[in-house]
Amino acid sequence: MPGDVTAGAEAPRDPAASAAEPAGLLSEMRLLRRRTRADRHAYWFPLVLFGVLICASAPLYLQRPIPAHAGFGQVITAAGPSAPLLSDFNGLLLNSYLPYYWLTALVVGLLLTLLWYRRHARQVGLATPARGYLITGAVVTLLAILVPPLSNVPALHWLHVLWPGDLFIRGTFPFLIIGAALCVLAWAERSVGLAATAVIYTGAALLASLYDIENVLFRLGWSPNADGGRLAGLPGVLLPALILLAAGVGAFAVQRPRQRPRQHRAAA
Amino acid sequence: MTAAAEPEPQPRELHPTNGIDETVHQRHRLGILTITAEAQRADFGYLREALGLTPGNLSRHLTVLEDAGMVQVEKGYEGRRPRTWVRITGEGRAALAAELRALTELVRRHGTPVHGS
Repeated sequence: MPGDVTAGAEAPRDPAASAAEPAGLLSEMRLLRRRTRADRHAYWFPLVLFGVLICASAPLYLQRPIPAHAGFGQVITAAGPSAPLLSDFNGLLLNSYLPYYWLTALVVGLLLTLLWYRRHARQVGLATPARGYLITGAVVTLLAILVPPLSNVPALHWLHVLWPGDLFIRGTFPFLIIGAALCVLAWAERSVGLAATAVIYTGAALLASLYDIENVLFRLGWSPNADGGRLAGLPGVLLPALILLAAGVGAFAVQRPRQRPRQHRAAA
Repeated sequence: MTAAAEPEPQPRELHPTNGIDETVHQRHRLGILTITAEAQRADFGYLREALGLTPGNLSRHLTVLEDAGMVQVEKGYEGRRPRTWVRITGEGRAALAAELRALTELVRRHGTPVHGS
């Protein structure tokens, strides 16, 4: 009897029934779990948000024209705040606002995502544990700001072990902070799709941090030096952003139509 | 004449039904635990709709699970609108896992394929 509170767990005596009932229950619970998970998924928003935030940072990655007299290995120093992990180490960028931008963008992005998940929980009736995502993003951002100055203090010199090697020299370390947060979000969302996106995006962010992606485009016929080399850093910025935007739009197409009817019913 | 040593009786493997908890085995209560295990917390309205239950029936099932320490019911307001959230406890998660293990073992013993897997 549906909804019978007293319906208990008498072990069925008929052998056929004894197997059919557990099989039916297991099938039903698997279906329920899949449906609940699909209703709860709302990760299109952080993907699109961080894709847009990375795209918006592109003007800050314009490089200053390379002086004709610059020799191999010459470092051009740029004045700016002391947050080298959120900036570029080489000092090749046209202006020095990158750390301000990323500090603001990361904090705003993480908070907006948390608010988004709260709103989604109210609308759909299922809450995703997104706090781990927020904490991961906030802690790594804080470390990126605090580790460089603190490791200069003699007593805290050991903090140099936390410097991320060559990962920050192109100014793309914030992309990796986003990648770490998305990996934690994929675990909270229990989503294979988001996990795959986070892995592919993090791979692209690592590539952009360790390799000059414009070299690939150069081989395909694009000359980054056509504009005095100003655009040379953009492929490394736009590739991770496009991955997030494409995955976010795809997730939106899947998640939005599924959740809309339920929201209308809840509003009614 | 020496008496031959009697072999020790081997303990028989427990039937999987021994792992079934009556509180959890009921279809709708199993459904409540399955849904709440998938989320940080689930809204009363969502559970009612997903399981096709009346509010009264869902309340009674929730009371049974709450008394057994398997879920926590949080009542509050969003603006002026009352809202009830249900959260699974560690005990509830363990009971759900044990129930699903027992069901899987029963299916394995009797060889009935599970549909929709």
